[in-house]
Amino acid sequence: MFSSIAEVTQALLKQQYIASDEIATVVFLAEHMGKPILAEGPAGVGKTELAKAWAGATGRELIRLQCYEGLDESKALYEWEYAKQMLYTQLLRDKLNQVMAEARSLAEAADALAKEENVFFSRRFLLPRPLLRAIMSERPVVLLIDEIDRADAEFEAFLLEILSDFQVSVPELGTIKATHQPMVVLTSNNTRELSEALKRRALYLFVDYPSFESELKIVRMRVPNLVPEVARQCVEIVQKLREMDLKKSPSVAETVDWAKALVAINAKHLDEKTLNDTLTVILKHESDVLRARRALMGGRRGMETGIR
Amino acid sequence: MDERVIEFIAALRSAGVRISIAESADALRAIQTVGVIDRERFKTALKATLVKEPADVPAFERCFPMYFGHEGPPMQAPQGLSPEQQQQLQRAIEQLRQQLQDLMRMLAQGQQPTREQMQRYAQRAGFSRNMRGGRQLQEWLTERMLREMGLTPEQLKEALEALMKQLKQQGMSAEGREEVRQTVQGNAESLREQVARFVGQSLIQQANESPRRQRIDDLMNRPLSSLSESEADELRNHVRRLVARLRSRAALRMRRGKHGHLDAKGTIRHNLRNMGVPMELKLKRRRLKPKITMIVDVSTSMRPVAEFMLRMMYEMQDQVSKARSFAFISDIHEVSMVFAENRPQEAVEIVLQTLPPGHYNTDLGNSLNTFCQSFADAVDHRTTLIIVGDGRNNFNDPRLDLMQALKARARRVLWFNPEPPYQWGTGDSDMLAYVPFCDAVHQVATLKQLADAIDHLFQHR
Ligand SMILES: Nc1ncnc2c1ncn2[C@@H]1O[C@H](COP(=O)(O)OP(=O)(O)OP(=O)(O)O)[C@@H](O)[C@H]1O
Ligand SMILES: [Mg+2]
Repeated sequence: MFSSIAEVTQALLKQQYIASDEIATVVFLAEHMGKPILAEGPAGVGKTELAKAWAGATGRELIRLQCYEGLDESKALYEWEYAKQMLYTQLLRDKLNQVMAEARSLAEAADALAKEENVFFSRRFLLPRPLLRAIMSERPVVLLIDEIDRADAEFEAFLLEILSDFQVSVPELGTIKATHQPMVVLTSNNTRELSEALKRRALYLFVDYPSFESELKIVRMRVPNLVPEVARQCVEIVQKLREMDLKKSPSVAETVDWAKALVAINAKHLDEKTLNDTLTVILKHESDVLRARRALMGGRRGMETGIR
Repeated sequence: MDERVIEFIAALRSAGVRISIAESADALRAIQTVGVIDRERFKTALKATLVKEPADVPAFERCFPMYFGHEGPPMQAPQGLSPEQQQQLQRAIEQLRQQLQDLMRMLAQGQQPTREQMQRYAQRAGFSRNMRGGRQLQEWLTERMLREMGLTPEQLKEALEALMKQLKQQGMSAEGREEVRQTVQGNAESLREQVARFVGQSLIQQANESPRRQRIDDLMNRPLSSLSESEADELRNHVRRLVARLRSRAALRMRRGKHGHLDAKGTIRHNLRNMGVPMELKLKRRRLKPKITMIVDVSTSMRPVAEFMLRMMYEMQDQVSKARSFAFISDIHEVSMVFAENRPQEAVEIVLQTLPPGHYNTDLGNSLNTFCQSFADAVDHRTTLIIVGDGRNNFNDPRLDLMQALKARARRVLWFNPEPPYQWGTGDSDMLAYVPFCDAVHQVATLKQLADAIDHLFQHR
């Protein structure tokens, strides 16, 4: 376990994750208090990445549950491998007949069969999904419950039960309790309000777009081949775009993609043509591209000599 | 420190932030974990455990410095004055005007002002018990109080000069005087900080005496049509919270009712191709999420209720398997698409603008007629049909025949009416005539009643 917040920052950095002091503090708290982190914020600011880096930094396995509309317990927790159960009953038919051979009535036969029932509802036929895998894991894990806001409120209520005691009861097997309490990261893009009960249980972390310095560090680290001066300009422009009233602001992921694209076309500097050609990497809406062009090019004509 | 944190939590609560006991306990544990030395991390620890909604961050940011402000160095006595110089300082102060004497005891001698002293200054600055307000009021009062104490830069400069003159007359050395000057300046900074904190805390304490929660509860029980625009706004902000609670209750109920039964016939039929070996199970799932069609009267008198109804139903959408909404005054229009394509705030406004109030005559009969002819598919045996209106038809034909037909087709018919029962059937109200065709009628004049009616709707799916 981390002994200081600075250690968290360092360990995350080794995983190529630039953590703000706030992020590092919350991770430190989560470790020490054994509480889930609920990370909210715009798309592509590194919420998912945080969970990965945390797992990497602590040598835990990362188990991920991606949420979507209609996600239910059988996809999140466990299912019986019904086909396998069927196969076994077919193959064991003779054996089963023997078991029931002595029976003199239907009721007796059913009773005899019932005695053998737990053979078919044993762990052999259990298909654990991410939540159960996290609970059953022999080794400590980080459980990432990604984009919880996409799941239904109904699923959220179910999740609450799991997060409060990290045990599940499988009627046929009894209660399974976690040997190591998983460290949990829930992420949300805030497309809908989460329940208060869930929020109460978690440490809340609002992940915002990074500062200029942090974002530059991210770009330099993730795309080391980009000309440093171009990297700086990239981040400058992205930060400026985020201040504009766009349909969709560029995310960190998009800054990184852009930087990669610029390496691919071997850009030595970010002149008007290059900017024009690659703007669609960071802006996804036609109208945003137009607005950005007007704002950036308009301003850049005067600045250009300064930049080159 | 714990006590201070608990006071801070009380302040947050009175600023409208919801904090449970468990969260308070978490906050105390969290600050034990990160310690109090690094102020930013201390703040992060409190924020992560107490503030779970971006909307509450401003309140947190406003309250935090008032409870955990930079203490600033406490008031200090001048260092390194000889006993004789201290005497000279004492005598010099006594030569000043009364008001300057008080000030210089604090600034030059490092005397901490008492709470009573602060309160006196505050009163003279115009602070009163029944003042309520936020940042702006705080700044204004702080400014006035500093002036009252003689701490504005100009006043301070003048006072300092007067003191220096006296010190010189008392024969204090140049180094001694320089020492005093620096002490005064340092202490003036601390005192300004203390004043700002004092004002902030006093305001928060007073706000504590009229908790916002109480106010929201009051508003919840006031007829929606009697709200001022700013009161309505306050309630609008509250709707999401309210709905979040309704939704998780509905979701929990649904969980309990879940767990499908084996559909034996379905399983056998489906597995014929496996030669009758039931390789895949078919489960009977009770269809638990209601299918809802709303018909909402958006005429002028109904507007406040209609708005809150649409708003809440929009937020409940994920608890509904299918929702269609229709707005009417004299005739009916489908507005489902508006809700699918816009955020609730905008959607409600668009709907209300599509049908501007005024010269129309409310005519439910005619609206039902159009509804049955053009939107017959909006009601089937699984649909819960909700009519939101006061049943005042301007003496037009209520078209009870159509109501009867709808009742026969729908799973349930509910009516939400803002008027109290004793007004039903008076004047142009056809409400009593409609009642026999409803499975339930709810009075929904207030947000509380509306919320209860909606909760009820999800209880009996
Ligand atoms: N702090 C960071 N340090 C290093 N890389 C980062 C950081 N933040 C974001 N990134 C980069 O941005 C990419 C996108 O981040 P990620 O997918 O985690 O975002 P997200 O917030 O989960 O987005 P979404 O809401 O779309 O799922 C990462 O793959 C990584 O390259
Ligand atoms: Mg993600």
